[in-house]
Amino acid sequence: MLIIERMIIDILLNFTSIEQLNTFMAQPRNVAIIVGALVAIAAALPGVFLLLRKMALTSDAISHTVLLGIVVAFMIMVGLGANPDLNSPLLLIGAAAAGVVTVMLTEAIYRSGLVKADAALGLAFPFLFALAIILISHYVDNVHLDEDAVLVGEIGVAYANINVHCYEQCDSITITPDDARAEFGRRCTNCSAGGLSPRDPEAEFETYCINCGTHTAAEAWRERLIDSPPVQVRWPRAITTMGLIALVNIIFITLFYKELKLVSFDEALAGALGFRPTVLHYTLMILVSLTAVAAFDAVGSILVVAFFIIPVATAYLLTDRLSLIIILSPIFGIAGVYWGYDLARGYFWGLPLDGVLQWLDSIIELNGYTTWNTSISAAMVLMLAAIFVVVWMMSPRYGLIATIINRRLRRLQFEDQMLLVHLYNHLGGEREAEELALETLHQHLQWPRMKLERVLARVRLRQLAKIQHGQVYITQAGIEAVRNFAEQNLPVEHQEQIIRAVGD
Amino acid sequence: MTEQGKSCNWALEINDLTVAYNSKPALWDVDLRVPEGVLLAIVGPNGAGKSTLIKATLDLIPRAAGSIRIYGKPYRQARNLVGYVPQRGSVDWDFPTSVLDVTMMGLYGKIGWFKRPGKKERELAMSALEQVGIAHLAHRQISQLSGGQQQRTFLARALVQDAQVYFMDEPFAAVDAVTERAIVNILKELRERGKTVIVVHHDLQTVRDYFDWVALLNVEMVAVGTVYEAFTNDNLRKTYGGRIAGIGAASGAIDVTSTRDSAEYAEVGDAV
Ligand SMILES: Nc1ncnc2c1ncn2[C@@H]1O[C@H](COP(=O)(O)OP(=O)(O)OP(=O)(O)O)[C@@H](O)[C@H]1O
Ligand SMILES: [Mg+2]
Repeated sequence: MLIIERMIIDILLNFTSIEQLNTFMAQPRNVAIIVGALVAIAAALPGVFLLLRKMALTSDAISHTVLLGIVVAFMIMVGLGANPDLNSPLLLIGAAAAGVVTVMLTEAIYRSGLVKADAALGLAFPFLFALAIILISHYVDNVHLDEDAVLVGEIGVAYANINVHCYEQCDSITITPDDARAEFGRRCTNCSAGGLSPRDPEAEFETYCINCGTHTAAEAWRERLIDSPPVQVRWPRAITTMGLIALVNIIFITLFYKELKLVSFDEALAGALGFRPTVLHYTLMILVSLTAVAAFDAVGSILVVAFFIIPVATAYLLTDRLSLIIILSPIFGIAGVYWGYDLARGYFWGLPLDGVLQWLDSIIELNGYTTWNTSISAAMVLMLAAIFVVVWMMSPRYGLIATIINRRLRRLQFEDQMLLVHLYNHLGGEREAEELALETLHQHLQWPRMKLERVLARVRLRQLAKIQHGQVYITQAGIEAVRNFAEQNLPVEHQEQIIRAVGD
Repeated sequence: MTEQGKSCNWALEINDLTVAYNSKPALWDVDLRVPEGVLLAIVGPNGAGKSTLIKATLDLIPRAAGSIRIYGKPYRQARNLVGYVPQRGSVDWDFPTSVLDVTMMGLYGKIGWFKRPGKKERELAMSALEQVGIAHLAHRQISQLSGGQQQRTFLARALVQDAQVYFMDEPFAAVDAVTERAIVNILKELRERGKTVIVVHHDLQTVRDYFDWVALLNVEMVAVGTVYEAFTNDNLRKTYGGRIAGIGAASGAIDVTSTRDSAEYAEVGDAV
């Protein structure tokens, strides 16, 4: 882990200085957004296939039951006499196992034929989660695993959880008495034993070296044993963990894109062609578990579900192409993270929310709730949801606005057609004079007069009809339009028939 | 078992196959031998185990007993001899992918792990789509297909597999007369080229026209053979049991079809 971290830093140092890097990483905002973005990438990729396989709720279940894996891993560590540590790889193994167990248990319950698939999930996951809670309260009371962390995570303090990497002046210093930097003092050798005061004539003294021994580079600098401070990079651990998981997920999805697509679309064919659907299925579940457990620290077990699902659902609104969905989903996730952080800190696209609250306080009584302060990860999820809503409204195909506009356009078009068909059908008919008279046309169509005038204005504007001597006539272009409409919208055998039948 | 050499003559050879879901048998002691180069219909009522028979043959579900050989080899070694068209309803047609993409899936087995389909695969898929008459829909999203077009897509996907034995689960379900004709022509063409095609079929009226062999299945295998030998009133009665209301002396087959569950079989007209 540390080696990988060091490699990342080495690469980064090609582009920036250590000083700049430290300043950057000391900013909570920067670290929170980077970690959040990595969570977004890591979660959205398996999320795409969860959604495709209609397993959205499985991610919810897994993100809870990984807790069981964590607790069991903790217990094993304690049992082995090791120091329990939230960064141990044993945790990842435990989490992966818990994810697999959840899915296997669900499938076993389902296959028993007693309940439906959703109920099977509903049985398996609370059971495992409850087990985890009981084990936590019984065995791991003293470790840092409180509910707050489980539910919402602590992305805001990710910047404080660091590994130190030293680059220069790193060696520890050993001072021996003959070193030039050695400092000496005198102390009484028999004072405490003999109950003497140092002033006592019987007191005996010896000279000893005050600063002899081994000092770390940082201590050495503090004591001014070295001329310059050690050069260190203070690197937030969460970036490495999340970054690795994101990388693993990217590699997995890239390598097995074709296989995952096939298995998700047609499991039977995948099996028949010799791609192992079960193996791919469980690998995906393991990745979901690993992502969930890695994100656990950052965004908590509940909110990580939002990162699996919402950005993917958003991308789904925009495109029908799987490859594009895979690219867009992490982008929406990152956008939510970026704006979400600012929202949590009281800014909504630059609008200071404290000011808004104070202003509201002056109008309605807010009982002093005038400072905006909220959970960062919750705000990020809120933003993910907000982006979903905005995209849903704006999306050109399934979007709310597009749907409304389309429906309205179609209604207008249909009104035009009804009028034109009426004009067409009675053109040259025996009751032409009566049916096409401008004054009474609206009665024949059974429309309000206003509506007729509106529609007539539209078709005249497009030169599909004309008024002559108080009669309304369809033009050649109008006849074309009627034919086109019938061809596009009516089944062949009905076209003539229906054109004739419309109108009275 | 003793005639190991002779068994290679069969395109498909199933011996004593039993399959159970939760200890409830879906197939019971089924034997089926299909020679090369025939069009075989598997008929039987809903829940007779027709889909199960195909899935067991393709090793998709475990079998409780029995053996299955394709050209004398177990499925695992005969994989590239087999083409498969699942029941149309078994996949989600809202899946975000195109007709061409779905067709190319038939080639994934040949491409193998990791590698992506390239230009050659694209061309193969296009020519298969031309064969089934929907090349113009190649880039369309599958969510925008009609039932008949979906079925043609699946057929194209099986064609690119370039197999020796094809298994098709209800390729005629909910397609219009034009599509049905087109599919039948393709099946007959496959037979001309020496392929064996095994089709789950529900329309008893057309069995005689479309197929030369028939297998009547209802958990147990009632009869297998040429249509002439096996497709008799007697066998149909055994297969469909009490569900047959009044088999006429003249043409049992047609009377049987009149009792079909109308919701299941409603043939939806489908403009292609
Ligand atoms: N996954 C499953 N789990 C449990 N039982 C199943 C499963 N699949 C099928 N069955 C049962 O096995 C029997 C045979 O099913 P199968 O799908 O093979 O029938 P079929 O002949 O294809 O029917 P249909 O004409 O409706 O397609 C049925 O009774 C069905 O309920
Ligand atoms: Mg079936």
